[in-house]
Amino acid sequence: MELKVNQDNCLGCGVCVVACPVNVSISPDVSGGHGSRTEEVIMMVENGVIKLFSEDKCTKCGTCQMFCPVDAIFLE
Amino acid sequence: MIANTKEVKDEGFDIKRSAEEVRNLSFKDHICIGCGICESTCPVDAINVAEIGPIVREEVDMPKIDIDEDKCVLCGMCSGLCPVDALDFTIDSEPISNIVSYPHYISSAEIDDDTCIYCQRCEIACPRDSITIARSLPERSDLVTGEIEADEETCIHCGICDEMCPTDAIDVDRTPGEESIEIDKDKCVYCLLCKKICPVDAIKAACRICSYGDYDLNPEDAVTTGSSFIDDETCVKCGWCQEICPVDAAKVKKQYEGTLDIDEDKCTVCGTCIDVCPCDVLSFPESPGPATIVDNIHKDEQYCIHCGACERACPVDAIDVKITNVDYTPTKSKSWIDKFEALKN
Repeated sequence: MELKVNQDNCLGCGVCVVACPVNVSISPDVSGGHGSRTEEVIMMVENGVIKLFSEDKCTKCGTCQMFCPVDAIFLE
Repeated sequence: MIANTKEVKDEGFDIKRSAEEVRNLSFKDHICIGCGICESTCPVDAINVAEIGPIVREEVDMPKIDIDEDKCVLCGMCSGLCPVDALDFTIDSEPISNIVSYPHYISSAEIDDDTCIYCQRCEIACPRDSITIARSLPERSDLVTGEIEADEETCIHCGICDEMCPTDAIDVDRTPGEESIEIDKDKCVYCLLCKKICPVDAIKAACRICSYGDYDLNPEDAVTTGSSFIDDETCVKCGWCQEICPVDAAKVKKQYEGTLDIDEDKCTVCGTCIDVCPCDVLSFPESPGPATIVDNIHKDEQYCIHCGACERACPVDAIDVKITNVDYTPTKSKSWIDKFEALKN
């Protein structure tokens, strides 16, 4: 299983960024809507859409997928 | 109000979001116009907009929209598209309209104080009572000057001048034994009506402006000053102020441009659309006579914001509102662009 994003679907709302427990543990002040602050996290909103930075840190928990309102981030 | 930290429960999943970022979605019922755009735009079907007709007619007392906290993921899309900003979405106390990655439709309403003549036509016309025009008029006594005097000896205190005076400047006490006449020079505009009407010629008066042409009139003193204020919270950018302003001081950029059509064959002239319209676009036409049943709804389309509240409320599906143009701040999110474009259908 791999973490994937579909940027065409993405709203850039950043819900996945703040929902991801790994992201939050790396940077508890993650601010999804405001854009990227550190590239240490798994994903961040950049230019209004989600972008993966360190997907190798993903624990495949599926939280992001649960919160994403538009199927823009998922495990496949 | 829905706030972080939230849980989503589904198929055995029990997930808690715990980032320090605080997201807040709050709903302003008094601002909501019940157009239903949020309902159709919510990607997770968390919003349900009530039947707006009975609510605006005060037949029922309930919130106009209901947000399912369990479904809402706090993405902010409803807030971005709401034509009247009834849904406030903030990330760490910052409204998303200030956040670059969130696009927003472009709309505005402004009154240019340099051009405004403070006639207050817009204030009266505004269907949402969003405009306040404060004005201060020049002193009447600075503009009109003259001389006026009542001869107490000649005056018979008949009170005719008191009754005739258009500015209430004359006060005649007719109590027997205490008769008097007083003229308030601050109120007097030297129209000389009292002088003309007095049966005993007791009043001597002259208007300096009439007597000496422009002698005492300083045009600079005749300027009305003031200030204008538009309450951005309640303003729906309908354009009434722009349309009614005699000096083009009011400028409105509507959020959604489009068309409004009423199918007169289907319309039963029930008036529901008139009740729900936030911009006073729709009205019953003037009835030609007593007890005449009007056969159509009159529309002033130039004030329409194409929110679709009437279309949604119409019990017989006679109204068709189409959005043909939305200007929005630049975004690279295809999903947002699709949402804005989808409004046009």
